[in-house]
Amino acid sequence: MKLLTLCIRNLFRRKMRTSLCIAGVALAATFVVAVGATTARYVTVIREMNVLFSGQIMVVSKSAVVIQAIPITRGSFQERLAEEIKTEIEGVEKAVPVLFITSINLDQLQLIPPNFTLGMPVEEWRFMLGPTPLKNGVGHFPTNESSSEVVVGPSLADQYGWVVGDNVTVNGYNVTVAGILDTKLAILSRCIVMPLKLAQTIYAYPNSVNMITVKPVQGYPIANLTEAIEKEYSYLKALTEEERNDIIQPVLDQVGLWSFGIQTVVFAISLILVMTVTLMSVSERRRDFATLDAMGAPISYVFRIVLVETALIGAIAGVLGIALGSIASLILASLYTNIPLALFFPSIFEIVPPLYMLEMFTAIVAVCCVGGIIPAINATRMRIAEVLRAEY
Amino acid sequence: MEIKTENLTRTFRIGPSTIKAVDKVNLEVKETKFIAVVGPSGSGKSTLLNLIGLNDRPTHGKIFIDNTDTSLLSSAERRKIRLLRMGFVFQTFNLLPMLNALENVELPMALAGKNEKEQREKALKLLEAVGLGNRPFHRPKELSMGEMQRVAIARALANDPELIIADEPTGELDSKTAKEIIALLYEINRGKKATVIVATHDEKIVDVADTIYVMEDGKLRLKD
Repeated sequence: MKLLTLCIRNLFRRKMRTSLCIAGVALAATFVVAVGATTARYVTVIREMNVLFSGQIMVVSKSAVVIQAIPITRGSFQERLAEEIKTEIEGVEKAVPVLFITSINLDQLQLIPPNFTLGMPVEEWRFMLGPTPLKNGVGHFPTNESSSEVVVGPSLADQYGWVVGDNVTVNGYNVTVAGILDTKLAILSRCIVMPLKLAQTIYAYPNSVNMITVKPVQGYPIANLTEAIEKEYSYLKALTEEERNDIIQPVLDQVGLWSFGIQTVVFAISLILVMTVTLMSVSERRRDFATLDAMGAPISYVFRIVLVETALIGAIAGVLGIALGSIASLILASLYTNIPLALFFPSIFEIVPPLYMLEMFTAIVAVCCVGGIIPAINATRMRIAEVLRAEY
Repeated sequence: MEIKTENLTRTFRIGPSTIKAVDKVNLEVKETKFIAVVGPSGSGKSTLLNLIGLNDRPTHGKIFIDNTDTSLLSSAERRKIRLLRMGFVFQTFNLLPMLNALENVELPMALAGKNEKEQREKALKLLEAVGLGNRPFHRPKELSMGEMQRVAIARALANDPELIIADEPTGELDSKTAKEIIALLYEINRGKKATVIVATHDEKIVDVADTIYVMEDGKLRLKD
């Protein structure tokens, strides 16, 4: 008789109770996975915002509200300042004017803006986008500053069914899709990248921008550079990568702490649920455990029966919870961004990575096993003499 | 297996009072004997059997099995003796309800580490021997009380024990079935040369026993 078979039969001796217990733990797992995956994704997207501008200094208006130095409120200044900074501030290798527009809608539930527009001088594509290629090698990056060509992120293209060569309307202006970016970065996948002049026209920023990215000369002290920029232009702030991270880090820490707190509480509730149900189950089967003891079954065998049962509850609930939690994460992502749910399904393993699923599965099974320890100890203490005496 | 007890005493505290369930019992059981312990309910028969079966520890006194003082044995060693050298038959059968008859009989062999093939062959043989060869895959709830007790006896025999301890084995059975169970226990005692100790009210068991003891208020004496 295999131990596993015995445990499965024991579990389903009380089908309703076991099913409810599994449902309870699965619900908790769903919540934990949804909260954990959504939070992790949110944090990843925020951190990704710095990936594009790694090692660079971001110059923005002093009054602008920024996330990772990306301005999410208006705060523009003259485009020519980029050239001025390059020529007049010591230690600047390159200064690129950028217009970064987020379509955040404060009236709706949007923690992450659904799309972005990045306007930049056409000769700076590579400097800004790095080695990001075009999907399937089809199309090209616009080469003419006054052209109405744009490249778009893959998620946007999928959502609206855009292909290379399509004419699309952005903020009331007709533009042509010259290429689709091949990228996994959340920010770029929802981005429309266009020549700076075109962006200025479309979003009514005549000759102005809302950020400048500054590449320091190699080895030049960055602190001196930011200080010099802010001294020269009192209405601008210059932020290094470290400073940008420092701005958002407390927020991310808080988010992480809340997420951890919620997960801990939910896991604790699951543990108590499993422990209570298993204690009841062990109490009902005291005669069985006492009989095993009378027959000379090793303590470890009795202990394993209970632990395997709770581990099975955890395994079944874990699989259900992770499946439901992953779907819930997609729904939340859709709600937070107003991007259609269907678009998230192909990227389910990016939103809920397999490693995270494995971690959660292990954690759920471990929590259930911990919940089984006290009932298992109780089971090993059942003595036939006491059980029979109590029965008569 | 030879068993000897010296001033065996077991007391229980119930509220403020102390009850002596077994009171200075001196008993000697020789190998292959069939011993019956009779007495009214609450006289301490089951407690005595639990002590002899190493399922309980005495408050005072000692139990020797083949001249080994069992009070010196660890819990694991006592379990090993129960598993490999003793078989238990209970009044209420105590079969595991989620296992069928065959699996219930296989269980002690599985616990003893025997391989699955050996377990299956022997369990089938034992069920055949107790007259249940045609119902190996029935669960306890699908068996009559007499059949359940037969399965319990087959289970008790699984590891070829030297001692069978049966606590009121016919207590829940009708007289015809009880007679069959007694015959089965007698056959085990004589055929397999196993020592049998039975606590009972059943006069029919008394008829086949080599020695009869009477238990009254925790004290044991030979029947006149």
